Amino acid sequence: MIYLDSAATSFLKPASVRYAVSEAMRTMSSPGRGGYESAMRAADTVLDCRVALADLFCVRDPAQVVFTSSATHGLNIAIRSLVRPGDRVVISGYEHNAVWRPLHGVGADIAVARAPLFAPDAMVRAFRELLPGAKAAVCTQVSNVFGYILPVERIADLCREQGVPLIVDASQSAGTVGLDFDRLGCAFAAMPGHKGLLGPQGTGVLLCRDEDVTPLFYGGTGSLSRQAAMPEFLPDRLEPGTHNVPGVAGLLAGVKWLERRTCPAVLAHERELLELFSRRLEQEKGLRLFRAADPALQTGVLSVQIDALDCEEAAARLGEKGVAVRAGLHCAPLAHETAGTLEEGTVRFSFSPFNTEREAMAAADAVLELL
Amino acid sequence: MQYLLTFRSLTYAQRAARVLERAGVTGTVSRVPKAAAAKGCAYCVIVAARHRDWAVSILTGAGLVPERVILRHPDGTLEVSE
Repeated sequence: MIYLDSAATSFLKPASVRYAVSEAMRTMSSPGRGGYESAMRAADTVLDCRVALADLFCVRDPAQVVFTSSATHGLNIAIRSLVRPGDRVVISGYEHNAVWRPLHGVGADIAVARAPLFAPDAMVRAFRELLPGAKAAVCTQVSNVFGYILPVERIADLCREQGVPLIVDASQSAGTVGLDFDRLGCAFAAMPGHKGLLGPQGTGVLLCRDEDVTPLFYGGTGSLSRQAAMPEFLPDRLEPGTHNVPGVAGLLAGVKWLERRTCPAVLAHERELLELFSRRLEQEKGLRLFRAADPALQTGVLSVQIDALDCEEAAARLGEKGVAVRAGLHCAPLAHETAGTLEEGTVRFSFSPFNTEREAMAAADAVLELL
Repeated sequence: MQYLLTFRSLTYAQRAARVLERAGVTGTVSRVPKAAAAKGCAYCVIVAARHRDWAVSILTGAGLVPERVILRHPDGTLEVSE
């Protein structure tokens, strides 16, 4: 199988991740529940992962790194911490349902900053117009549908100027596009552990600016046990219950792999594959490739429309040929609406550090066979 | 004799132990004895008595101020020193 659905989950992972998960299950129990060896080994692994993530994302204090079960989990915490019913919240027109639905659920007054694909200046202008009076803003760093790298730094600057707390959805950028949390000055950044960070499914990370956060879950933390209220300090305030220690151990192995390979090198590799794949297809009639004129605005994620085929049908046929891709709306109807692809959807090809040039070319050939 | 430097959570105790280790002071993360854990479960870093002042100074400089400093006598009795 040629796996080109890494924007959904990094099915292709370093062997060290599988080994770390297995070793954790064999040798670690639960941190914060005892002082015996297996508990302390688990605690050391969890702290090692916090520290590694703090280093990767330039977070001053590892206690600001909170483990969640997914980016969706983290985004729900961030939104529930900042937004009350009726609050005006500005979001980009490329947000995932992991942002849109929690905002809808909390009863926010959602203002969508719309701008064409790969037009960062227009996106900044849209945010500038909508931010006055907003209680919060949310912006994805990279569109999960189009691989479009949004101008998050400039939007963060605007938010700081206006005193509007910003939530960054780093689901598609963590592990490829850099994120300097301290310099960005955002209130939260949420990301999954199982995509670009190469950890197992069921892991996620929420970077928090301060301790003024609203827990989504309540329960035991191994601290201040006699107190009915949740601890007021991080990470305990947001981490009740037993940690996913095998998941965190695997995530740590993924982050260490990234430290060695480096995020810019991973991004460069994925872009090279996207370039090869696109060049093979771009002259073909009946295909529409959503590519940025400036390669610096796109990661290794590409949406494609095939004129003669429904996108789901195209993905199914590619699957039969051994090419794994995702079709439809990718849980991001806003992004499709903004790009004008809401009715037809797209077929998404997303490359990973483990895909090869040969795979990229073979996948392109499989697309050509559909025409 | 030993001193127990208590922290508000396991994460902070672990970080304190690592800061001390980098400074050449051996500190062991442990649970705080029930008799001294007024607020319920808590963690501490145990250091040798001779390292007490140096350890507290290092940790304070690193922004990891112990919540309490508890003296543990050889017979196991505890004495809150600050």
